[in-house]
Amino acid sequence: MPAYSKFTQQELPACKPLLTPEIVIAAFALIGALFVPIGLASLHASRQVVELVHRYDASCVPVDDKVGFIQNSRTDKTCTVTMTVPKYMKSPIHVYYLIDGFYQNHRRYVRSRSDKQLRYKSAAHLTSDCVPEGDTADHAPIVPCGLVAWSLFNDTYTVRVNGVVTQVNKKDIAWKSDKNNKFGKNIYPSNFQKGRLIGGATLNESIPLSEQEDLIVWMRTAALPTFRKLYGRIEKDINANDNVTVVIQNNYNTYSFGGSKALVLSTASWIGGKNNFIGIAYLTIGGLCLSLAMGFLVLYMVKRRYVS
Amino acid sequence: MRPDGKLPPPHPSLAPLPQRPQQATGTDMDPHARLPDPVPSPILKHSPSISRSLRSAADTSSVTFAADFRSPSKPESTSPSFDSFRTARSRPSSVSRSSTRRSASERAGSQRDLRDEDARFVYINDAPRTNAPPAMFPDNSIRTSKYSVLTFIPRNLYEQFHRVAYIYFLILAVLNFVPQLLVLSKEAGVLPLAFVLGVTAVKDAYEDWRRHRSDKNENNRTASVLADGVFRPKRWKDIQVGDVVRLVANETLPCDMVLVSTSDPTGVAYIQTINLDGESNLKTRYAKQETMSTPPEALAGVIKCEKPNRNIYGFLATVDLNGRRAISLGTSNVMLRGCELKNTVWAIGVAVYTGRDTKVVLNSSGAPSKRSRLETHMNREIIALAVALVVLCSVVSLLAGIWMGDHVDQLGIIPFFHKYDYSGAAAHDDGRYNWYGTGAQVVFTFMSAVIQFQVMIPIGLIISMELIRVGQAYFMVQDNRMFDEKSQARFQCRALNINEDLGQIKYVFSDKTGTLTQNRMEFRCASVQGRDFSETDGGEEDGHAVQADGVVLRPKTAVTTDPKLAALLKDGMGAKASRARDLFLALATCNTIVPIVEDTVNPAAKLVEYQGESPDEQALVYAAAAYGHKLVERTSGHIVVDVFGTRQRFDVLGLHEFDSDRKRMSVIIGCPDKTIKLFVKGADSSMFGIIDKTLNPDVVQATEKHLHSYSSVGLRTLVIGVRELSQSEFQEWQMAYEKASTALLGRGNLLRSVAANIERNMRLLGASGVEDKLQDGVPEAIEKLREAGIKVWVLTGDKQETAISIGYSCKLLTRDMTQIVINSNSRESCRKSLDDAISMVNKLRSLSTDSQSRVPLALIIDGNSLVYIFDTDREEKLFEVAIACDVVLCCRVAPLQKAGIVDLIKKRTSDMTLAIGDGANDVSMIQMADVGIGISGQEGRQAVMASDFAMGQFRFLVPLLLVHGHWNYQRMSYMILYNFYRNATFVFVLFWYVLYTGYTLSTAINEWSSVLYSVVYTSAPTVIVAILDKDLSRRTLLKYPQLYGAGQREESYNLRLFIFIMVDSVWQSVVVFFIPYLAYKNSAIDSASLGDLWTLSVVILVNIHLAMDVIRWTWITHAVIWGSIVATWICVIIIDSIPTLPGFWAIYEVMGTALFWALLLAVIVVGMIPHFAAKAIREHFMPNDIQIAREMEKSQDSRDANQPEVQMSTSTRA
Repeated sequence: MPAYSKFTQQELPACKPLLTPEIVIAAFALIGALFVPIGLASLHASRQVVELVHRYDASCVPVDDKVGFIQNSRTDKTCTVTMTVPKYMKSPIHVYYLIDGFYQNHRRYVRSRSDKQLRYKSAAHLTSDCVPEGDTADHAPIVPCGLVAWSLFNDTYTVRVNGVVTQVNKKDIAWKSDKNNKFGKNIYPSNFQKGRLIGGATLNESIPLSEQEDLIVWMRTAALPTFRKLYGRIEKDINANDNVTVVIQNNYNTYSFGGSKALVLSTASWIGGKNNFIGIAYLTIGGLCLSLAMGFLVLYMVKRRYVS
Repeated sequence: MRPDGKLPPPHPSLAPLPQRPQQATGTDMDPHARLPDPVPSPILKHSPSISRSLRSAADTSSVTFAADFRSPSKPESTSPSFDSFRTARSRPSSVSRSSTRRSASERAGSQRDLRDEDARFVYINDAPRTNAPPAMFPDNSIRTSKYSVLTFIPRNLYEQFHRVAYIYFLILAVLNFVPQLLVLSKEAGVLPLAFVLGVTAVKDAYEDWRRHRSDKNENNRTASVLADGVFRPKRWKDIQVGDVVRLVANETLPCDMVLVSTSDPTGVAYIQTINLDGESNLKTRYAKQETMSTPPEALAGVIKCEKPNRNIYGFLATVDLNGRRAISLGTSNVMLRGCELKNTVWAIGVAVYTGRDTKVVLNSSGAPSKRSRLETHMNREIIALAVALVVLCSVVSLLAGIWMGDHVDQLGIIPFFHKYDYSGAAAHDDGRYNWYGTGAQVVFTFMSAVIQFQVMIPIGLIISMELIRVGQAYFMVQDNRMFDEKSQARFQCRALNINEDLGQIKYVFSDKTGTLTQNRMEFRCASVQGRDFSETDGGEEDGHAVQADGVVLRPKTAVTTDPKLAALLKDGMGAKASRARDLFLALATCNTIVPIVEDTVNPAAKLVEYQGESPDEQALVYAAAAYGHKLVERTSGHIVVDVFGTRQRFDVLGLHEFDSDRKRMSVIIGCPDKTIKLFVKGADSSMFGIIDKTLNPDVVQATEKHLHSYSSVGLRTLVIGVRELSQSEFQEWQMAYEKASTALLGRGNLLRSVAANIERNMRLLGASGVEDKLQDGVPEAIEKLREAGIKVWVLTGDKQETAISIGYSCKLLTRDMTQIVINSNSRESCRKSLDDAISMVNKLRSLSTDSQSRVPLALIIDGNSLVYIFDTDREEKLFEVAIACDVVLCCRVAPLQKAGIVDLIKKRTSDMTLAIGDGANDVSMIQMADVGIGISGQEGRQAVMASDFAMGQFRFLVPLLLVHGHWNYQRMSYMILYNFYRNATFVFVLFWYVLYTGYTLSTAINEWSSVLYSVVYTSAPTVIVAILDKDLSRRTLLKYPQLYGAGQREESYNLRLFIFIMVDSVWQSVVVFFIPYLAYKNSAIDSASLGDLWTLSVVILVNIHLAMDVIRWTWITHAVIWGSIVATWICVIIIDSIPTLPGFWAIYEVMGTALFWALLLAVIVVGMIPHFAAKAIREHFMPNDIQIAREMEKSQDSRDANQPEVQMSTSTRA
């Protein structure tokens, strides 16, 4: 007889949980008890957030041929929008641009970049992934190459609160990790936006990529076709009923694909920006679980089956 | 023909016997012709033993004469035909089907001379010349390993791509390289396939390495080989064709060789062929006198032999000793690799086949490959998933087409589409960037979608199933409850792909002898001269030791004797006593048993073991020994029997071997008192026809009565008769026999009629009853199987009475059963009894509608009726009757009929069949059934070789089916469903995202994560859980065999469960995708962060799903499930730590936000609620048997925990 071992005889000590009524009811009740408070808290946090959204893509183009207007480099694209702040906004107030209908996750788009080129100087020539914005006509590599960089957002905002120009701080809008490790400190833009079709902003060739924060933010492609990206921060509180006037250089072409643009001013909370969904979801789940717990309790009472 | 017509001396070297006819004195005779070569001794035969043949009617007939009947003047011309004759009759029933076919053709071939171009020339003791070009024989190294270092990669890949699934994944991997598609990066695209191929390759490599190791051991064994006149040790692998090899007792043969001399002056060598054909008895091989007479160093000459072939029972060659006449060689002159030399001090042979040319290597074949039921069903669901995959891809490509159609004018300037390549030179004004028109774009989208969603068809499933089966097999093999103490044999898993079929068996077809019974025959009683001697109570276990030359000889097995019979034999006077002595003399002589003397620790005592092919004969000879007639020596010419202390020498003048047509054998014995006696032993049906009932009618009557009572208690009976032959009768027979045996045409029939001519007017001596003992625990096992809803059918070659009595003793039949017996001698009566049976079945069925009062039915049918039924296409009716019966007992069935019966069920129902048997006659049945089980017992390894599983005892069937089968089925079913579910969930998550990417196949989930998902993130838990999880304990499963029904009813894997789990999969994917989607809509979330959240939530969700279904949590289960989640997290972190990936650092950033954790928690909870609630409802309000048993087990456990003493006792019982 071979030696006995608990393992080979499949007799390792084991726990055999059963879904007894008590466990089921307790589980649902526990989840309910956990989720409802979380839901309330996050809903509360979300309601503390003050968010102003102003869509300006249509109102900033006075003519019918919107694409022609925006593509024409000689037209004056200045546009002024005015908003009234409904509630006190505590600094920092985040300034975002919100774009709708721009598929930054489009397969043709999202792959058209060279991350090696952004980090290593020696990799400047690695533009094969960047078609059709890889090389210039005379085969010089574009830095940064690819559609993602090429389509860099280039509207600018000048903010006035009650007529006073307020600084929008554009420092540290990108992730530190990107600035330190992903975008090279010794890599400077070259041949950028020199093609026949201009995709968006141009870059100052004397500033290394690691300091081009707008680019860094833009290159962190959005997950969904409606997205906002951080433009800057206003480090000054804005009181309720203050007038916020924003002068927009409306350069970016969202008209070609029927997209929209909006300006967003928002404060933040621990749950992020204004986001009622998560609170409502938690409350719903919590309520559902509590009622399931009740339901099971009733069911078990009505149709009792003894576990022999 | 010899002019004097006298019998040639069978063995001139032996002392002449008084009654032997004068030796022929022809001086012109070749001296060798008289030498016993090849002696057609019965010992040589491979023909079916009595026990075997009683059970099978498909054997070839054979009649032989134990004397050299070769024409002395023309040895060359007759010897080949003699060889072929022997080959013909030696065709064993036990050869596998293919080799039987071969041997048939070879038999035909051996009729003619061996042509030079079909021959191999072996120069004795001249290996260089033998192996000189163009011969180039392989060396003697054996390679069971498949690969070498160089060939491993190509060969292994070639073998793996034989699987259709792998081809599918290969095509997808290749498709991914099309530039327009390149969905995944090149590395990620090939990773899944490479991983699966790699794991399989590692597994194969490990197995092959083990084979290499065992090959190496085998090849480096040494044998002594003649070199420069001296025998020197040489490694096996270096032995070449033509080498002269010397072996000593108990050595294994390194290659196939022609025996040239042995330590025995007559040139006999005994070999054991257990490794070759599984027969454990010794076989005799002969060296030619011509070669014996020359010392091996001086041997020179050439052996011309046939090319290597698989027939282990045929060999055709001639040897030419330096210009002398060619001498023919046959099977009796070769010893094959793998055999062991026994009872022979030494033997010398010439290597003729080496290495891969040896017969044992040519005959080795792998385990049969079968497909499990579950796997077949699984394909149905895989097709459903493939359809789902096509639908998903079509939806995506259709939507993509619509989107492009809507935006066709703007595609040129949409920044994220960029149809044109503006950066190019002026010449390429409208140079297109990856744009081939909307139609082509739709096609590309479709193909990309297939690549993206490929895991819908789970690639890891194949490899997981393989690993799981290996693990399950490990635990089955290790199970101590399936370890046979007696033979020290573990359970064997020979087929690795039908483990789960063991949990779905509905029909068990069992052989009787050796399977239900031990096939270890025990002499129980004798009817001597009409007196029944079955009272062994007062008797002692008597080995009946005899003293000879100061050495005590004792039979190995002692038999309890009846004191009255012993007294009668020993001291009885008169005709009655002498007839009784004749009976036991007949038992001692009328057989083919060889006594083998074994040394014991005590030099003054030796054991005699009776070796023979038939266990019945062994039992009878042991019994004869116990009753004072002890077989001491047997050669081809004479037998020495110790009769109560005095040695008597009997000459074997003739022998008609057993054959299944005559169902008897006979031997002509020249007694010391110069009388010639014919002893016949055979089945009652054949014996009563040749017995002269007028000689002693009362004895005949009494014996018949005794026979009936013996067989009704399950004994195997044989009837013995005798006739004294007058000198003239004998000579007449001898003439006829010589004529028949030298006839060129129809020799078999002639010999048979010679036998029939002399076997007549026999005087009935008596009958013997031999018990074939039931194996341990058979009745209990059968009862358990029946309780489990398995129908047990017994198929046996025994006669009806024996079969029925065994049926009762193993509780297959019970007294309350109504028996339907069909045994018909004609087509008509068979049809009638079948019709009667049907009407009876219908009547009983209509009488008892509720199952409680149902009368259990048993069908007993014999082989003849089966022949008629199968002939006349009345199978349908038989089937109808058979399935209505609880028990079916088929008696007197031939091997092929056994397969036919299995096929009858297999063809007409979807129920799973299992066949279990131990002998060669069960091979066809074992191969036919869905699951074949071989009992490694007395009757060799043929059944084991053909089986899917092998074990030592019939009763192991209970733990095998009820415990392991149940577990394997339940685990594997769950594993397959779970695999479908977890891959589908992931694919659906990807699919939902695609709807928000402009219908392009991009993912937020990092491509490495999506590739690792099914092979790393979620695979280990499925494998471990499917190996280790147990829904119920062994104790519960054995206590309530009804639980086995879950597998028979396919409760763990069916379309309903598949749909349920797929709905759950869709729900969970919706939760995983849309909760974060709604939360992050309009936010600044980047795709890498969201992708990481999705990855983690899917992996955690599917692992929790698994955790919720795990029944038995051991530390391993905990480790692997939670470890898997941790491993995924680590992988995600590692992937996000690579700066050149777009998602760099995303996981760190997103883990820093509260929203991430809130969403993760919400996704898991919401995802699991339906499954959890459904499970709670199902388990509480619609519990199945297994669930109830689990609850009972749990409460039992807690009771055990409170009363530790009780637990002790129950656990030992379990």
